[in-house]
Amino acid sequence: MGEQEKQLDLLQGTLDLLILKAVSLGPLHGYGVLLRIQQISGQALVIQQGSLYPALYRLEHQGAIASDWGESENNRKAKFYRLTTAGRMRLEEETEKWNRMAGIMGAILLAQV
Amino acid sequence: MRRGRLEDEMELELAEHLECLAADLMRAGYSAREAKRRARIALGSTVVHKDAMRASLGLRLLDELGADVRYALRMMRKSTGFTAIAVLSLGLAMGANTAIFSLARQLLYERLDVPHPEQLRTLGWDQDSKSVVHNMWGDFDPDGHGGLAGTIFSYPVYQGLLKNNSVLDGLLAFKDDRMNATVRGTAQQVQAEMVSGNYFSVLGVKLQLGRAIQPSDDAVPGQGTAAVISDGLWEREFRRSNDALGETIALNQAAVTIVGVAPRGFTGLKNAQTSVDVFVPLSLQPVVDSKGSKSLLSDPDQWWLNVMGRAKSGVSESEMQVPLDVQLAAQVKGTMTVTAADSVPRLTLADGSRGIRFPDAQFLKPIYVLLAMTGLLMLLACVNVANLLLARGTQRQRELSVRLAMGAGRGRLVRQMLVESLLLSAMGGICGVAIAFLGRNAIPHLLSAPWKPLAFEVRFVWSVFAFAGGVTLLTGLLFGMAPALAAMRAEVSSTLKESSQNATKRRKGWGGKSIVAFQMAVSTLLVICAALFLRTLLALNSVDAGFQSDHLLLFAINPPEQRYSAGKDVQLHARLEEALRAVPGVQAVSLAAVPYISDSVSGGQVQLEGESKVGAGGQPVLHNADFNVVGNDFFHTMEIPLLAGRGFGQQDTATSTKVAVINAALARELFHGANPIGRRFLMDLPQGWLEIVGVCGDTRYRNLREPAPPQFFLPYVQGTDVGDMTYAVRSSMSEAELVPSLRRVVQQADRDLPMIDIRTQVEQNEATMSQERMVASLMSGFGLVALAMACVGIYGVMAYSVANRTNEIGIRLALGALPRQVLRMILREATWISLAGVGVGLGAAFLLARLVKSMLFGLQPADPVSLIGGAGLLIAVGLAASWLPARRAASVEPMEALRHE
Repeated sequence: MGEQEKQLDLLQGTLDLLILKAVSLGPLHGYGVLLRIQQISGQALVIQQGSLYPALYRLEHQGAIASDWGESENNRKAKFYRLTTAGRMRLEEETEKWNRMAGIMGAILLAQV
Repeated sequence: MRRGRLEDEMELELAEHLECLAADLMRAGYSAREAKRRARIALGSTVVHKDAMRASLGLRLLDELGADVRYALRMMRKSTGFTAIAVLSLGLAMGANTAIFSLARQLLYERLDVPHPEQLRTLGWDQDSKSVVHNMWGDFDPDGHGGLAGTIFSYPVYQGLLKNNSVLDGLLAFKDDRMNATVRGTAQQVQAEMVSGNYFSVLGVKLQLGRAIQPSDDAVPGQGTAAVISDGLWEREFRRSNDALGETIALNQAAVTIVGVAPRGFTGLKNAQTSVDVFVPLSLQPVVDSKGSKSLLSDPDQWWLNVMGRAKSGVSESEMQVPLDVQLAAQVKGTMTVTAADSVPRLTLADGSRGIRFPDAQFLKPIYVLLAMTGLLMLLACVNVANLLLARGTQRQRELSVRLAMGAGRGRLVRQMLVESLLLSAMGGICGVAIAFLGRNAIPHLLSAPWKPLAFEVRFVWSVFAFAGGVTLLTGLLFGMAPALAAMRAEVSSTLKESSQNATKRRKGWGGKSIVAFQMAVSTLLVICAALFLRTLLALNSVDAGFQSDHLLLFAINPPEQRYSAGKDVQLHARLEEALRAVPGVQAVSLAAVPYISDSVSGGQVQLEGESKVGAGGQPVLHNADFNVVGNDFFHTMEIPLLAGRGFGQQDTATSTKVAVINAALARELFHGANPIGRRFLMDLPQGWLEIVGVCGDTRYRNLREPAPPQFFLPYVQGTDVGDMTYAVRSSMSEAELVPSLRRVVQQADRDLPMIDIRTQVEQNEATMSQERMVASLMSGFGLVALAMACVGIYGVMAYSVANRTNEIGIRLALGALPRQVLRMILREATWISLAGVGVGLGAAFLLARLVKSMLFGLQPADPVSLIGGAGLLIAVGLAASWLPARRAASVEPMEALRHE
């Protein structure tokens, strides 16, 4: 478990935001989303691979992302997810909320009692 | 189809993921096999993920529901007998409920098909006995405190109200009447409505073809030949062809031109159930519907016209009523001669959204009774199904325990039980809508006279289906409660271990028995009510009307005023009477102004010559009596016995002494046993003094319910203006054989004269009992269904009880009990249940019968035949239904039964 020690478990409810962020940079297939999140976070986050797909389906069902079938890098059929307009708005909203929350939490935890 | 693709795609996507992950791991140096293994471990169970993916799409609930439904269907297929009985009993009850609901909606709540019907107000009045208004034609009734209430006005008063109207949004006038119409060569009777010029614009009714009647059509009295026809007449006579526009139809011999077709659903303002056929301007009244020489349009003394207006929004009833009342008083004083002794009617406003003549008085009570009964029937069906479900409980209890033991959630089990119940009730509901559809088509026939077009149609609208759906859901939940609760309480260990001797058994048994007792009680109530109404119908049918109804054919002839002015109509009738008598097969012919047992009556007041008594204020005493204007051969044709003197004959002519025949009841009232022959009386008719020449037997008049009233008869040949008459032809030939030759005779006299309402006197009598017949027929149906359900209920619970007690019965037999004793034991148990239920039902029936007393005839609410008969029938049915289980119990083999456990 040595390797996993420096990784953090994902906070509840943040996977959706990470997926939105990942696909906001360009269409990706499921595995691509996983790779990109790991890449951006510098391998610091553990993502339960299985929980990725239900989350993708949920976001698609909610209309935040849309999908198309296309060719993957190794010339196989793959499903590519992209951000919709509604998804973009949600990403902005959630990012703003996240930043505020982080700021508030930081301020509280820094406070000298 | 889409679901299959979704599954494939999920599969593909996860496989792709594994593939990529494995490829990356191989690049990191793992062997192909190891990489694949690690990839699979990293991803985890694809089955679980796919389930979660489905859940994200909201499909999981649907899937589980589908599985529940499939399972429920499989369970139903396994026990088809149970399913059939449950669905059939639910379906019958649901069908009865839906049909009666749609009937109630149609008869009691249907509004006129015009925009904003709730704004419509019917203008009416209430007057005391000193009122200046005496001459009335149309809608008025005793108001309950000595005066009259009506909704008719004189034309001059309407004109005045219209001119000075500021409180209502438009004020329209109309008058309904039946008229003879010749449409494309066929003479027929139609329902006509004479309407004011603003009628269609105030109502806001847009025509589907052509133009509406306009104020210009109604401008000049005696003129304006525009007619609007109904959708029904357009369909019937013109096959919905646009050529109808511009065609001429003869309405009471006056030519009118069709200018428009009213929209489908618009019935005129009489009521929302039956439609007017033809609309013509009121200005045509003197031409198409003349009543005497004077035009009603200029007669201030004759009150006949219905008036409606639209209320403005935000104006209270009293803000409308008060100024209108002031206006009415002013108009009455302005148009009529009002002396100091006269009073003036007070204006009233009533809801007009359902027309002027809605059938509440006739139907409110019967329909409420029927609604209550169908409600009980529904309850009975629910209880029946719940009982059957409970009886299946043991078997299910085991199944539930197994499922719980294997990890099923309780919520899941409850849902499963509810799905099964709802599926049952949904099947019942579908069955019920089909049954209701049959009922919907049949009930109007029960209520309509066979010689007339259907009195109304029951329409299925969304509210009816919503009702059926609601009842389905409710019943499903209601009877599904018992198994659902059982699922909640089910325990893993105890039921799996359960042997037949369990502490909870007794309680369950009692639950079943009290349910059956309740079923017996409700069935008793329904059966007794059915008996009461059936006996009412029988009593009505066996009433001696005082005349002979068999072999009597009736039809009406209505000579129009323009062609047959006063006097000429008498000649026409005399000619026809003579000609009809000559038709082969005709034994006797007569005619009467009012046919018997047709819910109509002519009433008057007579003043006896030389009567010593003098009333208040020196006025002579007036006696109320009904009368009829009849043909010379009337008493012979109707077979009414003459008790004294003579009937009418050849010697009575227009110029001879004016004569009358009175019936025994009137003779008793006027002469108290003295000889009435040769005495004279006076009534408000132009004939003057009438000499009594004979006394005849009493006959019922308006209907069969009311006892024979005091009556007198006048020969029509001595009248001056008789108008339409109903002919009675006595013949032993059938209606089909007789009518063509009669029609030939009538057409020889006048090609445009239709024979109106051809029917037999028996049909005529039955028509006044249509409401009683409907209630009796439906109630008998409900009673039979209730009986069948009670039968199934008691059989089910006894069979269950015997099955559970096989062990005990085996021991009893092994210890020496005789099969006969066992049989008696089971029957005794069943009888106790029956007796308890029947007792309760008897009490309830006794109370209910008092509530429906006014609907009964010829019997007391506590009618012993119905009460005892109904109770006896239920007890007998209870015994019969438990006979089979009892026999089974008695034939138990002791050894087998003991080995069984």
